[in-house]
Amino acid sequence: MPYLDHHAATPLSAAAAAAMADARGAAWANPSSVHGPGRRSRALLENARQRVAEALGASSADIVFTSGGTEACDLAIGGGPRPTRVITWALAHPAVHGPVDQWAALGVPVERLAGTAPLPADLEGALVVVPWVDHETGAILDRPLAEAARAAGARVVVDANQALGRLPIDVDALGVDALAIASHKVGGPAGAGALWLRRDGALEPRLSGGGQERGRRGGSPGVLPLVGFGAACAALPDRLEAMAQVGAWRDRLQAAAVALGGVVNGAEGPRVASCLNVSFRGWRAEHLVPALDLEGLAVSAGAACSSGTTEPSPGVASLYPEEPWRAQSAVRLSLGPEGLDGMAIDEAIAILERVVPRARP
Amino acid sequence: MSGGVDSSVAAALLHEAGHELVGVTLHLWDASGDQQVGRCCAPEDRDDARRTCDHLGIPHYVLDEREAFRRDVVEPFLDAYRGGETPIPCVECNRTVKLDHLVELAPRFGCDAVATGHYARIEPGEGGARLLRGHDRGKDQSYFLFGLRPETLAKMVFPLGALTKEQARAEGRRLGVPNADKGESQELCFVPDGDVAGFVARERGPGRPGAMVDESGESLGEHGGIEAFTIGQRKGLGLGGGGPTRYVLRIVPDQDQVVVGPADALQGSELCAERVRWIGPPPSEPFAGEVRIRYRHEPAAGQVEVTDGGFRVRFSQPQRAITPGQAAVIYRGDEVLGGGFIKS
Repeated sequence: MPYLDHHAATPLSAAAAAAMADARGAAWANPSSVHGPGRRSRALLENARQRVAEALGASSADIVFTSGGTEACDLAIGGGPRPTRVITWALAHPAVHGPVDQWAALGVPVERLAGTAPLPADLEGALVVVPWVDHETGAILDRPLAEAARAAGARVVVDANQALGRLPIDVDALGVDALAIASHKVGGPAGAGALWLRRDGALEPRLSGGGQERGRRGGSPGVLPLVGFGAACAALPDRLEAMAQVGAWRDRLQAAAVALGGVVNGAEGPRVASCLNVSFRGWRAEHLVPALDLEGLAVSAGAACSSGTTEPSPGVASLYPEEPWRAQSAVRLSLGPEGLDGMAIDEAIAILERVVPRARP
Repeated sequence: MSGGVDSSVAAALLHEAGHELVGVTLHLWDASGDQQVGRCCAPEDRDDARRTCDHLGIPHYVLDEREAFRRDVVEPFLDAYRGGETPIPCVECNRTVKLDHLVELAPRFGCDAVATGHYARIEPGEGGARLLRGHDRGKDQSYFLFGLRPETLAKMVFPLGALTKEQARAEGRRLGVPNADKGESQELCFVPDGDVAGFVARERGPGRPGAMVDESGESLGEHGGIEAFTIGQRKGLGLGGGGPTRYVLRIVPDQDQVVVGPADALQGSELCAERVRWIGPPPSEPFAGEVRIRYRHEPAAGQVEVTDGGFRVRFSQPQRAITPGQAAVIYRGDEVLGGGFIKS
């Protein structure tokens, strides 16, 4: 049963599972409580914060824990000061588009750049939200990120949910204002995420009640998943090292997909090693995903909305506006070191070879 | 799987019989705002379908057919109402959006056949599969299925065809189907409140007012748009009390006219149908059959003759309210021979 949907959620890493098993007797308590159980839970939380901060080359004081990557994006984008304009990319994750839409509703002009297009000039007062790694194709937007960081007077928020554990991250070197990450993309459990904030960055909480996280995020934090997140972050150097092997697996999958007539999306420029986005003519992605699943291969398409219905991939549509079929047909095979080995890749290729030709015209 | 009782029980029966199943729910329509709750195609219906599949331990997928549904079902439905007809969208929906599509998809999912919870039966015949009425005369849905291509029919399975609705519910309870006691779904899934005129107005703008006239053309009053009327309608004509009981006899779309008159003027002995489909080869000679002119209508005896654009039926006894847009489905006993849409 090869699982190739690591950009949606990775299997739980052994390190995260062990850390949560160790912590479960103490992590239930409210870390804001004064008493002993509260203090023990607080210690676990702060230890996790330290580990997350280290993974980013940051100080733990600048880490705001959230319930996940969507909340981290929402806080960074919606909690900042009112910008004169907002600039992002069409291929960004819905977690970015949602709070950007809220600025638009408040009358702030919004531009969504096509593909991996470069930034416009004069960004004074602007909010630039950079999806560092396209969640659908794995394309890396390094150049827009560097341009945004250099732009004078712009506030730069980075959605690094698909970059963490795939690319080395050093927030000091990036020169941006905020960076959002999530646990379940790197071997941790879902339900935990974090926002790194530059020390002098002003931020209004989006969850205002409670004053936790130094007044930046109200509500009792999910200590147990955050412990898992911390452990996953502590293991990130190993994960990054494993990316070479992951890339080799991806290249084998890609060769097999191309041999079956697949057209690879988002591979014109730099791309993370963990992702293959491919369109097979004659298949709608929403049919190919179940067909592969029924044979035991777990992949995904576009963006899975809450109903479970699959929408055509908006990111791929923005990359190839002249070829709409590619978005209709695009499926994402995403990999990671968790739970994969060469045999699983062999099996995945065999399933592709069995299923894809069923639609040959 | 709609999330309703019928498709759930159909799945449970096939599962009990040892078949390997894949549950599919088609996402056809998003009801707007306050109409969403408890209606077909609402998110909770998809959840119900998923729950049934979880109960059976089979995979379940939701496929987005909203675009095809709007194009092939809703838009023609709106056109027909604006053209003075009373369309029956379920026929086209079953044919194109649902069953042709699923039968085409089945081999891609590694499946041999497509099953639904329709109350109808399929039997092998000499010239291919035959479509028969469901045993439950009150629920029989063969009327909606006349348009199926023979090659589609050959790949279909209707596990409820020999059951009554009550038997199906009982089977559902016996098999632990989670929603065995759920209520009946609406006649038109995308107009859950039944207000067709309101739906047409929301989609296409307000109706054009016109005259309500009697058979001699004399004006009896005004109406707010022809969409609100169907042949045989008595209520909601806005003619006030007192006078003789009147019924809608005809709708004249190019004059925005609704013609009303007494009940006996509703009787008709002949109809012409177009957009015809035959399940077997089209008959070359006129023949005697029984013809159903709406869902709640017992097939009536008549002489059927194939014409250039479709077929003509001459009924042995006059029929009430032969309504353009509805389907005329030809039976011989329990067997569906074919059908078409009433033109006049």
